Amino acid sequence: MFFAPSPRPPRLYSRPTGVPARAPAPLPGSEYPLASAMRRKRPRLGPGPPDLPPVRPPLGVLVYTRAGFGHRGSELAAFDALGGTDAERLAAWVTQQLQPAAIADTECDAKLAAGAYATLGKSYTQLWQDHFVADNDWDERIQPATETELATWTRAVYSKRQLLESLVHFWHNHFNVYAYEFVEGPMWVHWDRDVIRAHALGNFRLLLEAVCKAPAMLVYLDNFVNFAEDQAGYSNENFARELLELHVLGAAASYGRIPRSQVPLDPQGRPLGYCEEDVQDVARALTGWTFDIDWESWRWGGGNSGQFVWVDSLHSTEAKRILGVDLPAGRTAQVDGRHLLDVIAAHPATGRFLATKLCRRLVGDFPPPELIDSAAALWTSLWQSPTQISQVIRHILVERPEFALTWGEKIKRPFEIAVSALRAMGTGVRFYQQVPAPPDWNDWHPDFQRTASLHWMFESAGQVVFGWHPPNGHPDLRGAWQCSTPRVALWRLVNWMIETDDDGNGRFAGIVPWTLATLPAGERSANAVVDLWLWRIFHHGVPAADRAQLVEFLSQGFNPDLDLPLTTNDWPYYWQDRVNSLVGLIFMSPEFLWR
Amino acid sequence: MSRCHCQTTRRGFVTGCSAAIAALAGSRFNSLAFAQGGNPNDEILVVLFLRGGQDGLNLVIPTGGYDRGRYQALRPNLAIPAAVAAARPLGSLPGPDGAVALGLHPAAAPLFDLYQDGRLAVAVACGMSANERSHFDSMTWMELGTPGVGNTSSGWLTRHLASASNLPPQMLMPSVSIGGLQALSQLGSYETVAMGSPYDFSLSTGPWSARTAQRVALRNLYEGDTTWLHQAGVQALDAVDIVELYASGGYVPLPGAVYPDTWFGDNLKTIAQFIKLDLGLRIATLDLGGWDHHESEVVNGSPTQGIFADLVDELSRGLAAFWADLDDPAVNFPNQRLTLVVMSEFGRRAYENDATGTDHGHGNNLLVLSGHAIGGLHGTWPGLREELLNEGDLEVTTDFRRVLSEIVVRRLANPRLDLVFPGYTGYQPLGVVTGVDLGVGEPIFSDGFETGDTRNWIVGP
Repeated sequence: MFFAPSPRPPRLYSRPTGVPARAPAPLPGSEYPLASAMRRKRPRLGPGPPDLPPVRPPLGVLVYTRAGFGHRGSELAAFDALGGTDAERLAAWVTQQLQPAAIADTECDAKLAAGAYATLGKSYTQLWQDHFVADNDWDERIQPATETELATWTRAVYSKRQLLESLVHFWHNHFNVYAYEFVEGPMWVHWDRDVIRAHALGNFRLLLEAVCKAPAMLVYLDNFVNFAEDQAGYSNENFARELLELHVLGAAASYGRIPRSQVPLDPQGRPLGYCEEDVQDVARALTGWTFDIDWESWRWGGGNSGQFVWVDSLHSTEAKRILGVDLPAGRTAQVDGRHLLDVIAAHPATGRFLATKLCRRLVGDFPPPELIDSAAALWTSLWQSPTQISQVIRHILVERPEFALTWGEKIKRPFEIAVSALRAMGTGVRFYQQVPAPPDWNDWHPDFQRTASLHWMFESAGQVVFGWHPPNGHPDLRGAWQCSTPRVALWRLVNWMIETDDDGNGRFAGIVPWTLATLPAGERSANAVVDLWLWRIFHHGVPAADRAQLVEFLSQGFNPDLDLPLTTNDWPYYWQDRVNSLVGLIFMSPEFLWR
Repeated sequence: MSRCHCQTTRRGFVTGCSAAIAALAGSRFNSLAFAQGGNPNDEILVVLFLRGGQDGLNLVIPTGGYDRGRYQALRPNLAIPAAVAAARPLGSLPGPDGAVALGLHPAAAPLFDLYQDGRLAVAVACGMSANERSHFDSMTWMELGTPGVGNTSSGWLTRHLASASNLPPQMLMPSVSIGGLQALSQLGSYETVAMGSPYDFSLSTGPWSARTAQRVALRNLYEGDTTWLHQAGVQALDAVDIVELYASGGYVPLPGAVYPDTWFGDNLKTIAQFIKLDLGLRIATLDLGGWDHHESEVVNGSPTQGIFADLVDELSRGLAAFWADLDDPAVNFPNQRLTLVVMSEFGRRAYENDATGTDHGHGNNLLVLSGHAIGGLHGTWPGLREELLNEGDLEVTTDFRRVLSEIVVRRLANPRLDLVFPGYTGYQPLGVVTGVDLGVGEPIFSDGFETGDTRNWIVGP
């Protein structure tokens, strides 16, 4: 458990000495003392009046909420120890996080080991043989995908490498592939481990090439059947189109179906974007980028090894022109394709598109243009650097002021809500599955039952991990997530989390034991319990009226300073259920959703 | 167990619910007097979006005339045999190379029955002139109702609801989006309830002893401020109250209405349920995805088998069941108030590719199923001769907004096309539904809408 109940609680989460019970002190270094955190209340007028922005939390909370999946208390303490000022702490934190291999991650490693995943360590060839070639049942076939999904939850909740996990999440959405398919599922460990994770903090050009060679993407967007028209009689421009529109230059750089000669040029004489003719030539440049699968390999006399291949005999040898750059006739698939990837990776529109998306993820839904400009310029200038992505991330997070000064321009998406609640709550969940599942639910391992229940409840929120069908990835704008579907689904999920039983040992989330262990007998008033949990979850004040609601909910009509009998859970007050529900309520509140 | 649940639910509703719902609860929406006099418009519009770009040329198939030969030449493997498609004849349209006879895919037999009954209007070669063959741009533009402009901050259905002056001032559940996240056509609408299914749409989790109080507190937390997030939360809580009160008892369709046992079938069933509950539903959206058939559109060399045929079957059986279910005398035949539009972001390329699939195309059919349909073929057939294709695709001869405008004006009786489809002028009905073309383009309605803050609706490029 993150917050194992202990007889000697860490003082950070109980009331700091000398501070009144109802007003937890701000963390050292916080610019936002509690008094200013109390938002002015206005009557509800319906749509129209401008929003009062939510109050920005201490920097550590902000960093973990927006560059990670939420904080655990110990991480905030460590963050605050990183320097004397917010600026020093942020810089030091980013430096640490950008070297994830140097961060000891023992708890996460232990959780991954406890998951007993069978496929995460398999080689490319093993994945192909064991899960694609072997004619096994569907659960086994897609086991690499389901186990990667479980590992993704595990890492999001337990890993100290939060920035890496955030960026892996970002790249999975940027290069979205639907996992639970015939080829994609078996090769998912390769896709996640060797493509996305291997390059998440590195160089985009190399990431791009790895993406173009991965069976998961080759099948998902059909490039594995993209051949020279004059050889195979068939080409497929699906991948080329989505590559330009969704992965590289972005739809904003599309000039549509106008002649190439009419695309406007920048001062250096390069086309500002792409047109239909570019799409078709990109598709031609990528003809013959396929892999050895017997559905198609008869065309070039291959086999069924699953390995990526450049098939020159099915590569279009005619001359191509892409974004104003000539690719001469008669070259091989490898030379043409790599030249293409150089051209599109180096194009300024790619820098702008990627910078916009990263800023949208890390800062706010509508990042300021000057931030995008500077991040885009840096991205493009570093396109050949092995640490391109890391340097741009550092630029956005540390070298520019916007990241640390922005709050509440985004809300958490369903995955971030669920994970940040699990992180703040401190359950000891093991994400686990049995393959094949036993026929009877009663024979399922309790951890498997719990994982499955969480998964089922989460599914209806609309953000199933690796489960987005179209290639544009889960939307990253609040407009997509403000509707009632994710709200209700996550309210249900949170209430499930706080009341799920831990194999008869009590509530899984350990809310009551931790509360009892942290607040001494005689000091367990509604006011004290509410402040304790607000402190643990937010580390900053919430609006006074919100706090009053929570106190009223917990006190059940008693004096809020009365010491409550929290060791009991009997009719009519069910105090322990009430405390569990209180924590659920905090996770359900609007305050918990801001990023 | 059930007794506990009911008690909790009931108290939660009474104490936690907003005044508007409390006032409306029990007295069904349609029996309320219309505040502004006259009868409120009670027509229902359902928008079904076929995600992925449906292959309209293989749904509404040339079976005779010059273009039959062209169709076969363009699609040697994918062409539905003339005799097969001609078994469900839709009639013929004049074309640039003479009349073209059209017929329905064999898997669309249930749709053909509706067509024969005069319930189904088929508008051919609809779409947008702004078209990049991109799923995402096309869907976005179409659903926002602003071709070429992707940063409009509201959907066309949102703007209809906001500009219609003939709807009651308070409505229990005017608009739903069933099956997942809210449709873009309803972007910016706080009246729209999005849900996966009624079954999952409740707050029946958490320690039971605290459920009622937690629900009250949750509402208070969301009603405590006016940010967009708070409003969205209140809306979700209202929706939970309504669904729980009315729709939690399960639903039994009419015996003759056999929905496909799929997600799509379930979502149609949910909409039928809400319509019959008489909660004031006016607008519903849902999706049927999976139409992006770049490969393997057919199997076993048979163009009438495979994923496309399966989806057409699901679509057709679903619509037929939905229609039959709403043909319900017990609730005054709500299918007579229904107009259902089937649309997709684009059609597919006229010629097949080498993987027995089709790539992204251009013009496509719009299907309109309505109690007031003018059944039959509509629109202008653009022809399939090479020079008549738009870069290899069926040309667009009818702006999709023309068909939607007609439904908005004639069925929903909202003349404010300038607000629903900004930038679209020259309203001219195609004749897919009956109704009156009253007041279009004339600012005769003074409903206070003009003074409203429209900055939140349209953000120009």
